[in-house]
Amino acid sequence: MAFDIKGVLAPFSALKQGTKPPHTVRYPKEKKETAARYRGLHFNDLEECIGCGTCATICQNAAIDMIHVDGFETNSGDSGLRPRVDNGRCCWCALCVDVCPTGSLNLTKDYVYVSEDPDSFLWMPGVDNPEGKENLSFQSAEGKPLLEYERIPMHELEGTERVKSFAEVLLGYNEEEARKEAARCVGCSICTDICPVHMHIPEYINAIANGDDEAAVKIIYDNNPLGETCGKVCTRRCETVCAIGHRGEPIAIRWLKGYATSTVNNADLIEKIVNPEILPPNGHSVGIIGAGPSGLTAAYYLSLRGFNVTIYESKSHAGGMIMYGIPKYRLPLDSIDKQVEYMEKMGVKIKYNTKVGKDITLEEMKQHHEAILIGIGFEVPYELGLVGENEEGSIQAVNFLRNINSDRHVEIGDKVVVIGGGNVAIDAARVSRRLGADVTILYRRRVEDMPADWEEIEGAEDEGVHIHPQAIPLEIILDENKKVKALKYANAEMIPDPEGGRPRPKIIEGDEHIIEVTSVIGAIGQSADYNFIPEDIKNQIEIKRGRIIVNEDQQTNVPWLFASGDIANRRADAISAIADGYRAVKGIEKFILKSENK
Amino acid sequence: MHIQDCTENTCVDQIQKIFHTAEVEIQRKKRVKVKLRLDLVPLFLSYARDYLNFKHLAHISCVDWIEENEFELIFMLWSYEASLMIMVKTRVNREKPEFITLSHLWPQAETYEREIHEMYGINFKGNERLGEFILEDWEGVPPMRRDFDTIKYSKENFYQRPGREDAQDVRETISKHSGEEVPDFAKEFSIRRIEE
Repeated sequence: MAFDIKGVLAPFSALKQGTKPPHTVRYPKEKKETAARYRGLHFNDLEECIGCGTCATICQNAAIDMIHVDGFETNSGDSGLRPRVDNGRCCWCALCVDVCPTGSLNLTKDYVYVSEDPDSFLWMPGVDNPEGKENLSFQSAEGKPLLEYERIPMHELEGTERVKSFAEVLLGYNEEEARKEAARCVGCSICTDICPVHMHIPEYINAIANGDDEAAVKIIYDNNPLGETCGKVCTRRCETVCAIGHRGEPIAIRWLKGYATSTVNNADLIEKIVNPEILPPNGHSVGIIGAGPSGLTAAYYLSLRGFNVTIYESKSHAGGMIMYGIPKYRLPLDSIDKQVEYMEKMGVKIKYNTKVGKDITLEEMKQHHEAILIGIGFEVPYELGLVGENEEGSIQAVNFLRNINSDRHVEIGDKVVVIGGGNVAIDAARVSRRLGADVTILYRRRVEDMPADWEEIEGAEDEGVHIHPQAIPLEIILDENKKVKALKYANAEMIPDPEGGRPRPKIIEGDEHIIEVTSVIGAIGQSADYNFIPEDIKNQIEIKRGRIIVNEDQQTNVPWLFASGDIANRRADAISAIADGYRAVKGIEKFILKSENK
Repeated sequence: MHIQDCTENTCVDQIQKIFHTAEVEIQRKKRVKVKLRLDLVPLFLSYARDYLNFKHLAHISCVDWIEENEFELIFMLWSYEASLMIMVKTRVNREKPEFITLSHLWPQAETYEREIHEMYGINFKGNERLGEFILEDWEGVPPMRRDFDTIKYSKENFYQRPGREDAQDVRETISKHSGEEVPDFAKEFSIRRIEE
């Protein structure tokens, strides 16, 4: 027999087992690694969580409750509630994890739960297992979420097309887009807290998603009679706290409001749809100075409550700053007219071209009305404080915008410099572009410090407006005819504020430049003209930094005198003015009915 | 014809050659998706089994397309030779959901059909064991149908553990904090209201 090679080598084949994991149990016992996506006990990152309750809503076993947790308060952007899971009901399907907008709720690898109490199944994720963060397994995937994180894009005119006319820039959602966008909303209502008016946002968005635009309009008009305006120009703080916005693009709340209100194209139709309850006349009379957003809002809701309301408006149109301040490419005239016409149908009386202090005095008004609301807005521009500022070619932005919106011709030439960084400055710049001028904005701080909306800044840049930050104007240079010829400015560097405030610009010595201009437009802020208020009343009310101090009912120190809008709040936007007007309604009602009962 | 070395591409070609109305695509590596008219499905399945050598019926599944008033039946076939999966999708009318049994082709189809019958209410004609399967004494809407209200069922049938009375409604908590008064006509549209 030949040499049995197989028999010699076979025992060595056992060696290959040395590299394989053993089949026997090892001592000391080694714990097996849990599967990577194991669905164990919940963990909630309490700081990330905003208490939107989407987990509790989606849970098909009704196993999740939202409850108060010490250390978390209800505030703008957080309901202050946190989820608690009934582990006796939970089936670990993890829908709650998949749907969590912030991604704070996840499952861990822990599955051992021991308690001495056989009835104890309630589990407070994050509170009961603060260490769970290190042990996450099943997490909501950002790649394939149950939620739609991307906003339906809004159609708008191209920058080069926009500067040719005052046509509205945003083209609005069509029906299909609006339904899709509205369907992204989880309806948590976190947004309603930060809205100055506390509009019923999840309700009207859900109505749009359900295809009921009329219900949406009725809900919007419940506490905002200028919903269409807000649908176009609102500063929309709601969108900054949107639950979806934590990991995606927030719901386009403003544009959805714009969509719903724009489906109603005349005042009769608004009346038919909104169909508000109107109380019979109660014999009381209220006078309002200024038909801006706050005055109109107060007038509308006071009328519905049976008051006899008259607005005294110095100009020929109602709307205040939304009429005379906001350019028509953002808010078309017929949109304002429609909203005002509806309010007039509801009993609001507006005396146009009637300036209080000139055509009628405050004392005369007081003889007709039991309470008076001042909503005159900030119309007097701050002066730039430069030499040559009162000469031809130097214009104030608010006057410029008012003239343009009143269809008056304004000569600005072809090289315009706008000084300022707020929305008024951007508006003036974009309007100047539409009049055919090359436009430069000079702003003393950095672009990121500009108080204007970033969308407005971007829009201006798209339209070819040149923004020159950290530039401080020094002097307006005039030609022999005392007409503006050039502007001298200096570049500035930002120096940190030792007191911890925002960095301040400081002129770089010698870094001065001169640009040739045909017009200089100043837009560094406005204030109010209180000259119509008699001295004795002015002495009683408190005016601080140009604003009238009011209580939470918008009431001044003079009980029958109320104030609202820019003169009473620091936000200086339409929605805050509307909120003031809405609060004033309750304040005035309380004041008049209380004095009646005495 | 037996295709021993059938690949995704030859498989697609072959199916399209025979079934002109089928929508065939390679979904990913080793997986071919076939969308087919309902009446062609038995024909196709026996063709796939006997001619393309997809000997194994791996699974039958179902999706409720309630908006389109249809159920979708999905059959997963596996070929050991080609190590390839065919996914056959077809639609059944939701009003009267009916199909024929496949137990004459694959005995294990009977069990899958029983499950789908119980969970979705689809009748597989010829299957004689469509009785009670996993659910006991089930009445009403089959539970995997999308119009089955799972939360309502949980609330009605599962024990409500004491100690959960402190639950808060998010909408109410926020409106109480902000002072917002939500009118009744708006409340109809609050998605989140906890029912009384």
